[in-house]
Amino acid sequence: MTTHGGFQPVFCTVVPPHVLDRLARSDDPARSGPARRTLRRDGELRTLRQVTTEFRLAAEPDTRAPSDQPARTIHDAGHRTDLPGAVVRREGEPPGQDATVNRAYSGLGATFDLYLRVYGRHSIDGEGLPLVATVHYDEQYDNAFWNGEQMVFGDGDGEVFLDFTLPLDVIGHELTHGVTQHTANLTYYGQSGALNESVSDVFGSLIKQYALGQTAAEADWLIGAGLLAPGVTGSALRSMKAPGTAYDDDVLGKDPQPATMAGYVRTGRDNGGVHINSGIPNHAFYLAAAALGGHAWEKAGQIWYDVLTGGELAERALFADFAGLTVKAARERYGDGGDEFEAVRKAWEQVGVRIL
Amino acid sequence: MRIQVRRTGGFAGIERRGEVETSGRPDAAEWHALAERAVASGPGTPPAGVPDGFSYRITVDDRTVYCADPRLTEDQRTLVSRVLKEGA
Ligand SMILES: [Zn+2]
Repeated sequence: MTTHGGFQPVFCTVVPPHVLDRLARSDDPARSGPARRTLRRDGELRTLRQVTTEFRLAAEPDTRAPSDQPARTIHDAGHRTDLPGAVVRREGEPPGQDATVNRAYSGLGATFDLYLRVYGRHSIDGEGLPLVATVHYDEQYDNAFWNGEQMVFGDGDGEVFLDFTLPLDVIGHELTHGVTQHTANLTYYGQSGALNESVSDVFGSLIKQYALGQTAAEADWLIGAGLLAPGVTGSALRSMKAPGTAYDDDVLGKDPQPATMAGYVRTGRDNGGVHINSGIPNHAFYLAAAALGGHAWEKAGQIWYDVLTGGELAERALFADFAGLTVKAARERYGDGGDEFEAVRKAWEQVGVRIL
Repeated sequence: MRIQVRRTGGFAGIERRGEVETSGRPDAAEWHALAERAVASGPGTPPAGVPDGFSYRITVDDRTVYCADPRLTEDQRTLVSRVLKEGA
């Protein structure tokens, strides 16, 4: 498929990692769009080099502003738990033999790309913060998390969960925890924690949709598609389109997510059900994006981003607070009574969140 | 000695439980020593975790301690992985 050793198709067969990686290098959105389509069509590294060289020459470096290039470092924990572990790939270094390392590197690039190209944000802190990820954490580790400074990925046990770097939206989800930490800093408990989780799912999904060039109608709206081992009865870990339907398995149990407030789960576990009740704001985002059509990152994503970064969202915000701010943001950006305002207002109404 | 582990949270938000009853086991002494070390250092209330990090509750007979990734002692990590694997 390519002369690079260790290359394997990653997030899906449509977007190989080097493509995602190179996409982050184009400076002009008007040109990166067609370039992206071309790259997706033929995937030739030679073409990629020509394209990116052209863009690099066109870009005039500004030493005062944060770089438009990510600063990625991937570490390997060697199946132990000391963080960050040994450096295995730095920014600009070519792909190596380890597909997990390559996926993490490319996923960080795709995430950086969405935030910069669509929302004008330089990395997770808006000031070009270096992106750090550790792979091969612990043995058969069934998880990925954000430790406040970096991403950490386990290999999965191979029987229920596969490698956590496989789904691009999981990588985007973890990095978005960093964005949230540097912006609204939603408290990771109860409703504000579920909002924190939902924001990570929303932008994790948008990162995948943006990389694939999908419209809201084309996207699968799944979180963690490709993460479950063969034999597990399920398509993913969460579904924004139909919360509660992602899996139903003998070992895993059934997807517990509610889609509306009628199914809100009160629990002290999982930080007050942050991965359960996130289904409600997740579904609201899906409904708004589906109603608006087109690319979800353009309007619905912009509204959610405005709320996350606008400075008005309290750390302990409730669903109703967040909903109210999205309606306000839709009005401010797109006008009162417009399609955007109506789509967002109706979305929250459909999931049973009353806006005060 | 009865050793119970409950793991909650994580990216998937799926709960896991395990329990090992050591009486009659040939390796009981080893389990006892490991369990004693694991509960010696844990707080009695859940600590603040990190986003998507696992939270653990370890109960050894009538003592319960809590811990959360990534800040587990080596003994806690060994114990929870062994109990979740062997006592699932
Ligand atoms: Zn999360």
